[in-house]
Amino acid sequence: MSDHDITQTGPLAPEDVTADSPFTLPGFFDALGDGRLLAGRCTDCGTHLVPPRPACYECGSRAVTIEEQPRTGEVVSYTAVHRPPSPFSDLAPVTVAVVELDSGARLTGRVTAPVEEVEIGSSVAWRARDPDEVGIDPSAHLPYEEDWPVHEFELTR
Amino acid sequence: MTDAHIAAVGTSPLGWTDLPGRDLFSRALAETFADLPDPAEVVDALYVGAQSERYENQIMQGTLLAEWAGLQNRPAERVEACAAAGALALKNAVRDVRAGVHDAVLACGVEKMTAGGTEGATNALAAAFERALEQRSGITAPSQYALIARRYLHETDVTEADLAEIAVKNHRNAAANPRAMFQREVDVETVLDSEYVAPPLKLYDCAPVTDGAAAVLVTSERLAADLAADSVRVAGVGTAANALAVAESNLTYLEGADVAASRAYEDAGIEPGDVDVAEVHDAFTVCEAMLAEAVGFAPEGRGVETVRDPAERSPGWTDVHINTSGGLKARGHPIGATGLTQAVEAYEQLTGRAGDRQIPDAGTALLVNEGGLADAHTAAHVLTGV
Repeated sequence: MSDHDITQTGPLAPEDVTADSPFTLPGFFDALGDGRLLAGRCTDCGTHLVPPRPACYECGSRAVTIEEQPRTGEVVSYTAVHRPPSPFSDLAPVTVAVVELDSGARLTGRVTAPVEEVEIGSSVAWRARDPDEVGIDPSAHLPYEEDWPVHEFELTR
Repeated sequence: MTDAHIAAVGTSPLGWTDLPGRDLFSRALAETFADLPDPAEVVDALYVGAQSERYENQIMQGTLLAEWAGLQNRPAERVEACAAAGALALKNAVRDVRAGVHDAVLACGVEKMTAGGTEGATNALAAAFERALEQRSGITAPSQYALIARRYLHETDVTEADLAEIAVKNHRNAAANPRAMFQREVDVETVLDSEYVAPPLKLYDCAPVTDGAAAVLVTSERLAADLAADSVRVAGVGTAANALAVAESNLTYLEGADVAASRAYEDAGIEPGDVDVAEVHDAFTVCEAMLAEAVGFAPEGRGVETVRDPAERSPGWTDVHINTSGGLKARGHPIGATGLTQAVEAYEQLTGRAGDRQIPDAGTALLVNEGGLADAHTAAHVLTGV
């Protein structure tokens, strides 16, 4: 396939499942590093899949396409991780939330605000960061994850 | 199809111990075979549920435990679905016996969770959740469940105090269970005043880090009779895997648990209202309420009435008694062994061996064991007395 043909819809041929395809994690994180958050979108039932994958978990269809996601959304649920895994110790307590983007796609991520400032329904926007700049211990990364950005949410209000 | 029976059960002490995993298994096995011939004379194959090799840096648990039981050259393998591993070992044993592949299979589970301290357990358990987006956001087991709990409290009139009552009830039950890790009662203030681990969940909403092992002997009905064993029948089995990521889970209804339990009920030919006692996966207090709803015991939003006497519950509730053992919260939660400790409680209830916590005339039990985030994996079993 041509590079980043994000209009492609499955079923995928074996040779299409490569590290530059957004249906794989390397392709997904390459796009995130370029400021684009990509979801799979089932063309049969409309379900969003983050990160993208070749089959819809809701209905089983492999007619999944790639859809670029909006920046903004709302908090569906949230908490604070008082004792996070050791690579995140410097960030404790870590506020995390499930966010529904304006498209309807959902993903979990860190929120940069203290938990006291977050509510269900809070407006947020995502951005991609270098995990080392965020303060996550580099020992957390597997070798193939080292160049992957990490997303986070900011309160927008 | 041959009927599968549980012919004997055993556990190690559950708690913080100086015994490594294989020795915890030896303790459990010694109890299971106290009144039986040697394992080598009975057991055809072995399954072991074990969550993580991070604790003891040991995989090949099937081979290891078979060796420690004296079972040379038998089929022996580990199964894994985080905290559902124990019930998956049971499911495989039942499948083999029902199919006539084996007459006797040992379903066991073991976890040495304290080996790496609190940090080691936190990191090992975090591996049960989605890696690419969720683990890399700093989540933990309590925080994943807190995301469910927060939304559940938001969409119902359930309060943190209601959840605290579930911990109080399970500690009260554990006080009557000689196998339990915490054989002591707590009051609701203790639960509510405990520190937040991941709000709205507090320390006393969370099942503990536990060392432990369990061993359950599954046999054909005929072999159980030949062994003169006081057995119970495994009448129904159902499993289902649901979403791994919390972002893709239904935050207020455990659909995968509904599906798994429904399969077990159908297999057994029973309805939820037929169940007398149930051991459900209260890794966090909110889970007991949500599971009561998902498996058909309680109307939606009323699962917290699990703490009430059956006569005092809302219409639509069944008369089931839930987590008579003290549950994961107070009996203890040795991850890979937990599903089998549930089976041990049901065995004791159905054979009249539950002592001060015995439910009179208990004839049918449901076991619901889960792994990963809530219904990411559910294994359900229906057991009946004989």
